[in-house]
Order: sequence, then C-alpha cells, then structure tokens
Amino acid sequence: MGESNEDIDQMFSNLLGEMDLLTQSLGVDTLPPPDPKPPGAEFNYSVGFKDLNESLNALEDQDLDALMADLVADISEAEQRTIQAQKESSQNQRPPTSLEMPDFSGAGTLGYGANVAAVSVSHYEYDLPPPPADPMVDLPPPPPPPEPLSQEEEAAQAKADKIKLALEKLKEAKVKKLVVKVHMNDNSTKSLMVDERQLTRDVLDNLFEKTHCDCNVDWCLYEIYTELQIERIFEDHENVVEVLSDWTRDTENKVLFLEKEEKYAVFKNPQNFYLDNKGKKDGKEKNEKMNAKNKESLLEESFCGSSIIVPELEGALYLKEDGKKSWKRRYFLLRASGIYYVPKGKTKTSRDLACFIQFKNVNIYYGIQCKMRYKAPTDYCFVLKHPQIQKESQYIKYLCCDDARTLNQWVMGIRIAKYGKTLYDNYQRAVARAGLASRWTNLGPASAAPPSTGLKAGTTQANGQIPQAAHSVSAVLEEAQRHAETAKDKKPALGNHDPGAPRAHQLPKSSLPPPPPVRRSSDVCGSPATVPRAKGPRGGFPALPDDSLPPPPPPP
Amino acid sequence: MAGMKTATGEYIDSSWELRVFVGEEDPEAESVTLRVTGESHIGGVLLKIVEEIKRKQDWSDHAIWWEQKRQWLLQTHWTLDKYGILADARLFFGPQHRPIILRLPNRRALRLRASFSQPLFQAVAAICRLLSIRHPEELSLLRAPVKKEKKKKDKEQEEELYDLTKVVLAGGVAPALFRGMPAHFSDSAQTEACYHMLSRPQPPPDPALLQRLPRPSSLLDKTQLHSRWLDSSRCLMQQGITAGDMLWLRFKYYSFFDLDPKTDPVRLTQLYEQARWDMLLEETDCTEEEMMVFAALQYHINKLSQSGEVGEPTGTDPGLDDLDAALNNLEVKLEGSAATDVLDNLTTIPELKDYLRIFRLTLRPRKLTLKGYRQHWVVFKETTLSYYKSQDEAPGDPIQQLNLKGCEVVPDVNVSGQKFCIKLLVPSPEGMSEIYLRCQDEKQYAHWMAGCRLASKGRTMADSSYPSEVQAILAFLSLQRTGGGGSGGHPQGPDAAAEGLNPYGLVAPRFQRKFKAKQLTPRILEAHQNVAQLSMSEAQLRFIQAWQSLPDFGISYIVVRFKGSRKDEILGIANNRLIRIDLAVGDVVKTWRFSNMRQWNVNWDIRQVAIEFDEHINVAFSCVSASCRIVHEYIGGYIFLSTRERARGEELDEDLFLQLTGGHEAF
Repeated sequence: MGESNEDIDQMFSNLLGEMDLLTQSLGVDTLPPPDPKPPGAEFNYSVGFKDLNESLNALEDQDLDALMADLVADISEAEQRTIQAQKESSQNQRPPTSLEMPDFSGAGTLGYGANVAAVSVSHYEYDLPPPPADPMVDLPPPPPPPEPLSQEEEAAQAKADKIKLALEKLKEAKVKKLVVKVHMNDNSTKSLMVDERQLTRDVLDNLFEKTHCDCNVDWCLYEIYTELQIERIFEDHENVVEVLSDWTRDTENKVLFLEKEEKYAVFKNPQNFYLDNKGKKDGKEKNEKMNAKNKESLLEESFCGSSIIVPELEGALYLKEDGKKSWKRRYFLLRASGIYYVPKGKTKTSRDLACFIQFKNVNIYYGIQCKMRYKAPTDYCFVLKHPQIQKESQYIKYLCCDDARTLNQWVMGIRIAKYGKTLYDNYQRAVARAGLASRWTNLGPASAAPPSTGLKAGTTQANGQIPQAAHSVSAVLEEAQRHAETAKDKKPALGNHDPGAPRAHQLPKSSLPPPPPVRRSSDVCGSPATVPRAKGPRGGFPALPDDSLPPPPPPP
Repeated sequence: MAGMKTATGEYIDSSWELRVFVGEEDPEAESVTLRVTGESHIGGVLLKIVEEIKRKQDWSDHAIWWEQKRQWLLQTHWTLDKYGILADARLFFGPQHRPIILRLPNRRALRLRASFSQPLFQAVAAICRLLSIRHPEELSLLRAPVKKEKKKKDKEQEEELYDLTKVVLAGGVAPALFRGMPAHFSDSAQTEACYHMLSRPQPPPDPALLQRLPRPSSLLDKTQLHSRWLDSSRCLMQQGITAGDMLWLRFKYYSFFDLDPKTDPVRLTQLYEQARWDMLLEETDCTEEEMMVFAALQYHINKLSQSGEVGEPTGTDPGLDDLDAALNNLEVKLEGSAATDVLDNLTTIPELKDYLRIFRLTLRPRKLTLKGYRQHWVVFKETTLSYYKSQDEAPGDPIQQLNLKGCEVVPDVNVSGQKFCIKLLVPSPEGMSEIYLRCQDEKQYAHWMAGCRLASKGRTMADSSYPSEVQAILAFLSLQRTGGGGSGGHPQGPDAAAEGLNPYGLVAPRFQRKFKAKQLTPRILEAHQNVAQLSMSEAQLRFIQAWQSLPDFGISYIVVRFKGSRKDEILGIANNRLIRIDLAVGDVVKTWRFSNMRQWNVNWDIRQVAIEFDEHINVAFSCVSASCRIVHEYIGGYIFLSTRERARGEELDEDLFLQLTGGHEAF
C-alpha cells in the first residue's frame, strides 16, 4: 500500500505540474494590449464571448482598469491564504497588471469566490494541493473519518481525497469565465468576472459588495434583448454563464442590475396571486392588506406542502399567431403542467383542454412595446421562447393581457409553475441576504407600503374568497345570497339551542371556533426548507459544480 | 352479594336475574343467567359470566354489548343502575376485536382484526399501526358499496385474501424493523408476502377491468363515494358493522403530512395506489399531457418493482453521480500504468459514428425546404451532431453541425413498420430547426436516442446514466413489439412477459378510446425519458406530487342545498377551502377559505351546517347526498390536520380530533 501511495504522490505531482503547464500555456497569450475603442462610440456588446481573451480585448480602458483592480485585490487576498503553500513569492508574480493573467487563470477563481462563499474558501485553503515537498502531505486527510479506519481504508481514503483534489484542480484549470458588463441604475456600468460555476445569487452578492446598495430582495439581474424587445429577471438559482452563453457574439443584449418589485411580489403579497377575485369590479382600489400571519399561512400552504400550488389562473388572452401579424383571443388556463387553452366549441374541463405550451424548454419574458412593434392589442405582453433563440422566429410565442395586473399574475404564475419551490428557496435566501432575521419583519413594511407601480390594483376580497371562475353574474347573485344569509343567520343559531333537540347534551361541542393554527414558520418551513439540494457553492462540498463533470475543455 | 336467599329459597335482597348471551349478536347464542342487583359492578358481572360459562379461554378481549342501546358496557366500575340496565336488557358477551375484510387503497383485500368497541378513530389508528402506516388521522373507513347482484355469471374469480388476523402487535412501542420490515410481518412467509403486497406497487390493472369498473360521469357521481364514510367518533359496532364485513380503507383527508420515503414505504405505496386509481378511474380529471406523465411514472414504477430494484435512490444528485463516475474513472487510470495522459483520458468522451438517413425540415423565414431522407455520415460527439456527405469527408467541414443542448427529442417509432426515427427540435439563435434521424434497427436507435436525450440535458455519452438509458429504450421498444395493447396481445417469450405491458392499463379508459396502443406507447415513452432515472420511491413521490398539483385534486364533493337557494348545488371540501360549485355546469361559484373561518355550527335536527367567516360572512346549507355529520367531520378534520406540527412528531391529539369532528352524539 505504501508503495502505491508513493506512486500516487508521484502521479499527483506530475498531474499538478501538468496543470501548471496548462495554465501557463493558457496564460501565454492572455496579454493583448487592451484595445481602446473609440471613445464615445456606443458600447453594446457586453458579453457573449466564449473566452477570456476576447472579452478582455473588448473592454474599454477604464473598464479594464477597474476590473484589474478588482482582480488584484481578489488575488492578493487569495494569495495571502495560499502563501504558505506556494513556494514562490507571490510578489514576483504580481506586479504589472498585464502580467497578472497567467496566475489569474489558475488561482483567480479561487480568490474570486472569497466574498461569495467564505465556506468554500476556507475549505480550499485547507485542502489546497500542496507542492510535493510540502509538510502538509503527512497530515491526516480532511475531513477526519468519524470512526477509526483500518490502514487500508485509510490509505484508500487518502487516495480518494487526493483524487478529489486533483479533480478540483483540473476543473479549476478549465473553468470558463466571462467578463460581464453590468448596466447600473445610473447608466454607469460595471464589469465583473463571472465564472461558470456562479449562480445569479453569487453575482448579486458580488454586486452588493461593489455597489453598497441596500441589498433588499428586489435587486436582480435583468436581461434585455434589445433586438427582440423582451426582457426578464434572472432567477437567483440560474447559472449566469450558462444563460449568457446562449447569446450570440454580436448580440446587443444587456444585463442590468436593478430593483424589480415583481421579482418576489408573490411572497410579499401572496393574496394578490392566490386569492385574487376577478369577479369583482376593480372599482374599489384596495390593495388588500392581508395580515402577516395569514400571508405566512398562505405561503406555507402554497409552497411548503409536499407539492407546491400553482395559482389558479385563467382567462382570455390574445395570442399572436405563428408568423402572422394578427392576434387571436383565446381562453387560456395555467396548470402546473403548462399553459392550456380551450379549443373551439369545447368546455374548460380538464379533459377537453389542449396544451399550448409546457415550460420545460422555454423561459418567460416581458414583451416591451409590443403594441408598436407587433400591433398587439395592449402593451401588457409576455413572451415564451427557448432561451437559445435570439432572433425573431415563429417559435417565439407572444401573449397579450388586458391589463398590467393580469400580466403580472401570468408571469408570476408561470414562474411558479416552472421553478416551483426553488423560487421560494431563492426568496428566503434573498431575505437572509438582506440581513433580516425573519422574513416577516420584512413583510411588515412591504405590506405597509404596497407596491405602487407593479401591482396597483390589489383587489382581493376582504374575506379572501378565491374567485376561480367567479363571473360577474354569479358574483351579483352571490352578493344577494350573502345578504340573505347574513340577515337570516341569526335564527339558526338560536334554533340550534331550542327546538326539538331531544337531548341537550348532544348540542354543539362542535360550535367550537376552529383553533387558530399555531404554527411556527421557522420550524415548518424555515430551516429545513432553506437547505438547498446541493445547489450552489454552499453545499457541503464546496468545489462541487452544479453541472456535470467533466466540464468541456476551454476553447483553444 | 346479590342472590342472598332464605332457607326456603326466597331471595331477600333486591336481586334479579340478568340474562347474557355469549358470543356475537346471534339470537341462537348460548346464554347464561346471573343473579345481580342494581349495585353490581360491570366488572363483577363479567367475572360471574366467565365463571358460569365454565370454559377455559382467554376472555380478556370480551366485553358486554347492550343491543337496545347500541352501546358497549366498558366502564367496569359502573354499576348496572348507573348504566340503567334492567332485566329486559339484551346483553351480549362478545369479543371487542373482530375480523373484518379491508379493501386497501391498492384494491387488495386483507383480513384483520379491528376493534369494534373503540371509536373508529382509534380503531383506524390501530389498523394503521398494524400495517405500519404513519399518520392514521389521514385515513378512514368507508362502507363497501352495495354490490349489484345482477351479474352472477362472471363471478369474479376468487381473489387472493391476505390474512393478518393472527398477528398480534406489542402495544405501545413503535414496531421495530426486522429484515427490512416491521418485525411483526417477519413471522411467517405468509405475513411477509402480505408486507410485500402492502409496500410494493401492484402491477397495472387489466384494461378490460378498467373499462368495466364504474367511473364517475358527472360531479354528481363523484358525490356518491362520500356518503359512505363511517363516523370517526363511534365504534364499528354502533355503526352496524358486523364481523366479516368488507370495509374500504382510504386516505380521507388530502393533506399528507411529512411523507418520507425512508420511513413510509407502506404509506407511500398505498397513497400512490390511491392516486393511481384515482387517475385511472377518472375521479380526478387531467389533461392528455398530464396523463402521459402519469402513465410513464406507472410504467417506470412497475418496471422497477418487477425487476426488484426497489432499492435505494439511484442518484439523489446527478452532479454527485457524475463526480463519482469521474472519480472511478480517474482511479482506474491511477491504478493502472503510470499513464501520463490522464488528462486526455478524463476528457475522452465516447462518440457515435454511423451512416444514418437524415430528413431535414428547415424553416428559414418564408422558405420551406423539403428534402427526402438522404444517407449521411453522422458523427455524434459530446453534445454535438455533425453530418457529412460520406465518411471520407468526415475530417473536413460538416454539412451541418447541431448542438443538441436544450433541444427537444421526440421519438417517432413504429416497431412493426420497422421505423425508428428520432425527431430533433434543435434551438438556435434563429429559431428551431427540425431534423429527423432514421435508424436501421432498434439497437442503433436506442444508442442514438439515448445520446440525444443526454445531449439535450447538456450531458454526454460519458454520463453514467447512458447505458441504463439505452437499456430503458430497448425495453420500451420490446414492450411495443409484443404488441402491447389490443385485447389479445400475447407476449412472446418469458422475457417479454415481464416487459410486455399493455399501455392501456396505464391510462384512463377515455384515452383507450381516443388512442390506439401504438399511438399511446411512443407518447408514454416520450414522457418516460424525464422520469427514467428516478428510484421507486422518488417516482411514487413524483406521481403523488403531480396528482396533488392537479387543479381538481383532493376535493370531496357533496350535494347540498344552500339556504335560500331553490336548487341543489355541490359543495367541494378541500384541505384549505370550501367550494360552491354549480351542479349542472360544474363551474366554481364561490370559494371560502378555512383560514378565514370563525366557527361552524351544525344543527342536527334540521341537518343544517352554518359557517361563519371573517367579516360576518355567513353561509348555511343542508346536506343532501351525505349526512351533515360527514361534512362536519370533513371540516373539523381538516382544521385538525392543519394544527399538526413537525415538532410534535407522530403524537396524536385524539381528544382534539374528536372534539373537532364529533359532538353530535352522546356516548
């Protein structure tokens, strides 16, 4: 066993050496002089580059400088940590910015994660592949096995650990990175290095650090397809590089960093999505203020059960017909399995419905100015398309709603159907990130100051009646009925006590008020719910990538 | 002591004779006569009876049933006077636990002993403990529907009846696990078989049977079932159940707490079975697309169950799986010769190369090019498909190169016609391009298909799931070859018999009418690719979740007459709300949520339920299709279920349940 161990060690150092070579070779040509673009020219293509050189090449001077400053900071941080492991003085490697790159591609990612996930950094530190002669080799492998293992097992364990290490190192050498130019609210831009393992959440956290904004949950990355005039919010669990790789090289698409209250509107005011009463006229402008407790139970019911509940949503929408200019009005229904419509001459029972689209392969976008561009009946449009489609195509589906409220309900409903519980997990993480101990303290102010732009007509019934198909006629009937009932209902209460009740003691034990459910949110859905299924770098094993191994080799 | 006499034999105390029949309610039963007074305690009477019978037997389970009052005399310290028993009382001294036949959610019949003296709630809890189903509060018993005696001819063949009447559970403690099952099941081969029946999904039903079984054709039909629920607060005896009766055990409340594949194999399976039958018998409506997913899951679950791979989750996290695969890969390399090309080997990905016929349907704006199938040399590497005119040109530029990541893969297969096509809908910045790959035979098809599917998920054929995917496709094709479907399709060969599923057994009968089997199979196959990697319990859970996310899920329908209304309407009761539904059209008129409910009252005399919601909204209705007790119990039950907390675990607040659901009858 000892011999084979040595062999392994030997191999290991070979491997590391090889990787160094690899990174070196990657680095060799990474030093193009930044190609200054003519100042004042509109700078459109922020991303879409498949490799680092190119993206760096495309950067403007000041961008590059800023980026470099970032990188240097990050790297020096990383190096501080790895310094004892590295024989060479890091000082030598680091002076002028232009010489930075070779080192960066190897270790940069490492340092870059610093502010994103401290956990992973510290783990790295411990785990870092030491150079062959390092004293750390003799240390017992982390993590210490819970029970004493036999020698063989121990050796096997050590080997496995080393292999893991090697794999991580390999992966790092191959990690794809993009320089993303993010447009800020104030029309400024920031360039960020995003590696392919980073989720939107990580990038947002990164941006929080850089911008010192208030970090509230509404901040999001937002993609705009300038050409198609569609846009959408990045979901926090989405892999940024993956999304951006769908863009074409010459794309005019942009990434924005801004606040959108639509992002988590459903969690702030679930009643607007789950208890909306369409039957009632929007006459009384009441954004129904549900109390926090009811909201909590509604959310818990909808998102914390064994399966999530998609808001019941149905109604007539306009559909832009494939490849044509006309819009056709159809009755659509949202189900967990997709969007359906009622075929001509059929009823809206489940068995008659025809499937319009399922969500697996499409993303949902807001359509901008569809009225102008596509002669849509209103400007409240949403668009479904495969993320890879970048040009106009008959495979892009345009739907148009009567008003903004309906639009927001559909978009949110579709997001819930598509992403399910993940959306709620994202929200809870965002809340945690916003530095709030409990999401309810956040909900308080949120409901006190109801959103003014996004959802203006929050007309939920005071009693929280779910509308479903409540149409105005039935609503009127209902109203009458209710009056009748309220008027008469005093009597049965009495009747309950008197008339022919043969035995008095059988009387209503049942008239107990239903005990208010005493639930503690933190127990039921808090801690267990927020633990993501090994998503993101916070899982137990830091370097574990989300997607499969091995990652494609970097483009030559 | 009762029965003091003078020397002449006259009784001098106020004692009288009490006659007690021994056995279950049976006029012919043997009887004993005792001398008692009004002050005699029940316990004393019991002792005397046993003495009188003079038979050695374990009488511990016996108690006295008072027939006229339909009541058990269980308070042994009560006197006869306190109970109000006089000489004319018809009393039966019989066992409290009697055998009944349970029709389980999986439609199998099981004989066991149930308590006839405890409130049904407790009796069900005991049954569930025996069957090792957690959270018995979610289940209850129904009377079996009255059998129509018309068809004597096609007497259903004697079905297998499992028997658990001899099994005795140690009280109190949770049953320990032994050999992978609760210890009390491992006593004999027979009980072991019973556990397997309980914990493993049943094979798909015979499509013909499915056709024959009654299905609800309207909302009104769906109300029938709910009139048969037994009363949770009264015992079986009080509800007219006699020994040997058939009762249905079903999940009554659609609020499933803390489903856990590890601790709940029986519960999960039975719930899955109930959901499956619910879908197959069209109790809950779904769309075509949804039905295909349900069918695919059933197929998958059945396959796993037959192959015995009940086993562990195959991969909780695909990423982890990959890592393992890569690690193994690397390990092999490291163990072998000191290869220097570790990097190469790691990144080497198997590829497929072959001549295939390709049919392209390119939809460039305004232009539709149609070309027939042409032979091409196709190379499939990583997630990219490239094709060339011929093999010789392969090193050069391909005619077209398609990255299949994110593409849609649709099988277009007709086994009997020997047509094995793969339809690919490949996204590109310009839109989608459609391309058909035509393979020569099943084997080629399975390999390419599996590759395409993985590629569409962004994985390569190096993925650990590739071989199993190939196998799954072959298996499915063989299912089609055995002429699955049709009425008399006899599977060929022993192997096929296991696989030769009839797709009609997986879908509701209305799809049997709508589709031919060979149309159905590819659609199920298509849906199957998304679930093929699930383990059994994951697949069951997925089925249950898909069931739960149907809009009509978990609504119990009851015909009611709202106060002030002239026509009957339907009241739907779900786990969080009450729904008023138009009887004729089926439209939802109004919904009230339990969270806004203040209180509800039942007037037992006029059979009316009155409910008060927040903001003084009052609703009242009388129950037509079921007794108002059932409605009351449903509402109270759901309120009760919503008070459950994870922290409390499995402890059951029985008093609260009975308080919320009972209260209408004096015990």
